[in-house]
Amino acid sequence: MDEISLLNRVRADVPERTPDDVIRGRAALLRAIEAPPAPARSRRPHRPWIWVGSAVAATCALTGVFVFGGALGAPVGADPAAAAVLGSAATAARSVVDPVVGPGQYLEIQTDAVYAASGTTEADAEVARQERDGNLEDGDFTSFLESDVQALWVPADRSGDWVAVRCARTAVQTFGPRSETFAAEMGIVGGDSRQVFPAGKTEYGAPITMFDADTAADLPRDPRQLLERIYEENGSAGPSRDGEALVWLADRLRSGTVPAELRSVFYETAALIPGVTITEEQATLNGRTGTAIGRDEGANGFRQDIIIDPETGAFIGERQVLLTPAADMPAGTATGSTSVTTTVVDAAPEGTSLCAG
Amino acid sequence: MSTHDGDIIVRSLTHGAAFADLYDRHERVVHRYIGRRLGTAFAEDITSETFLVAFARRASFTGGLDARPWLLGIATVLMQKHARLEARAWRGMLAADIARIHVDDIETADERMDADGLAPHLGTALADLSRGDRDVLLLHTFGDLDYAGIAEALGIPLGTVRSRLSRARRKVRAAIAPHVSPAPGREREHHRG
Repeated sequence: MDEISLLNRVRADVPERTPDDVIRGRAALLRAIEAPPAPARSRRPHRPWIWVGSAVAATCALTGVFVFGGALGAPVGADPAAAAVLGSAATAARSVVDPVVGPGQYLEIQTDAVYAASGTTEADAEVARQERDGNLEDGDFTSFLESDVQALWVPADRSGDWVAVRCARTAVQTFGPRSETFAAEMGIVGGDSRQVFPAGKTEYGAPITMFDADTAADLPRDPRQLLERIYEENGSAGPSRDGEALVWLADRLRSGTVPAELRSVFYETAALIPGVTITEEQATLNGRTGTAIGRDEGANGFRQDIIIDPETGAFIGERQVLLTPAADMPAGTATGSTSVTTTVVDAAPEGTSLCAG
Repeated sequence: MSTHDGDIIVRSLTHGAAFADLYDRHERVVHRYIGRRLGTAFAEDITSETFLVAFARRASFTGGLDARPWLLGIATVLMQKHARLEARAWRGMLAADIARIHVDDIETADERMDADGLAPHLGTALADLSRGDRDVLLLHTFGDLDYAGIAEALGIPLGTVRSRLSRARRKVRAAIAPHVSPAPGREREHHRG
């Protein structure tokens, strides 16, 4: 029994609340909700338009004084140069024919990712324990970058066996002596693993989530409608609604299973997002070069990029770039990057040879 | 069209009472999480406080479809003032804190444990974790949050979640390893006999 399954049992039989307690708690909450707001609340700095969709509409209706640029229906869109690159990629993607998975074949989706692992060295953690009751401060953190390579083989017949291989995560970049110490202490995380999921379900019956035809069919093909839909779905998530919209697109593109015609719509949608610019003319990810398109999230200190090939419309990958130094990493470090390749193969591998390469 | 937590919170910006829907959805998981860390004596008050704080801060909700990470994050912060009490409780952990394992599980498990010997070591290991590491480990196990949920709950990068969780697991594993032993059927009978 490992420590996680053991902890799952610890105090698992803690008594539930009685129905009376639940109702009392609810009533107390409602009383507090209906009480007049404390005077301090009105002096709180107002939050600009990060409440999207219905919230913005409601706020406007109530106050009648909310005015902002780039409102829904008054588009500003991406920087012209970025829009041109996205437009070119969108056009190219329209003529791409997606690979067809024939009977007995597999769709192979390989994801090569690099992530920043941040934390404290044992020594710094000990100091924090001795002097600060275990509370860590910003200066205690250091980081290193580690690779995370995985692949999924999806059978043509989805009720067959799906195969997933995940390679041990290893450090690929450190940032000075403290970072090296930390990387050494963390060691190699996990081993190479190969798992089989009958009918694409885990042993608990949860399906392996992927961007599939149903999900694709459900999305509008009109870029402006899609952008509205994205704003709505994201709610108030993320540092800004436009930044989060680009993250939404990157999240789906990263799945490696967005059909070419929809990829084309995604590029056109990105071209409508205010603040999107070319962030690097020649960006290389995992050996492939393309144009990086991104959006600075000043408040959050990072930039989401997608890297595309304007000539072929191929999605090469995406990354989050740090804008200010943090946890021993200099500005400009990609704290997360993913490149994805999707192909059709005749068989899923028996072992974990993927990890040897 | 289904309503997700983000919708409820957005609606509650103009119609406060809508927030009670969020309570109905998540009070149980919040209460259980607090109860398993601090005991039921505190769980009632901190659960209430969690939802009051959440309501007051609802305008700054930046999550998406699921408010659990946000709520459990608030509960985690509220429990900080009881950190010493929690650590004391972990140090006094008893075998009874490890829920009874059904006999059938023991028969099929490839490893068997001695709960009496194990509990104090597990408790001490949990008490000795730094607060940050313990929060991550217990949000994962008691709060049932995935890495992204923990990152959202604590407002820390995903990489930090991974590294804290891996360190916390390593320490707990080291503490309990001597008390969890492989138990092939025959040997087991000798021990019990």
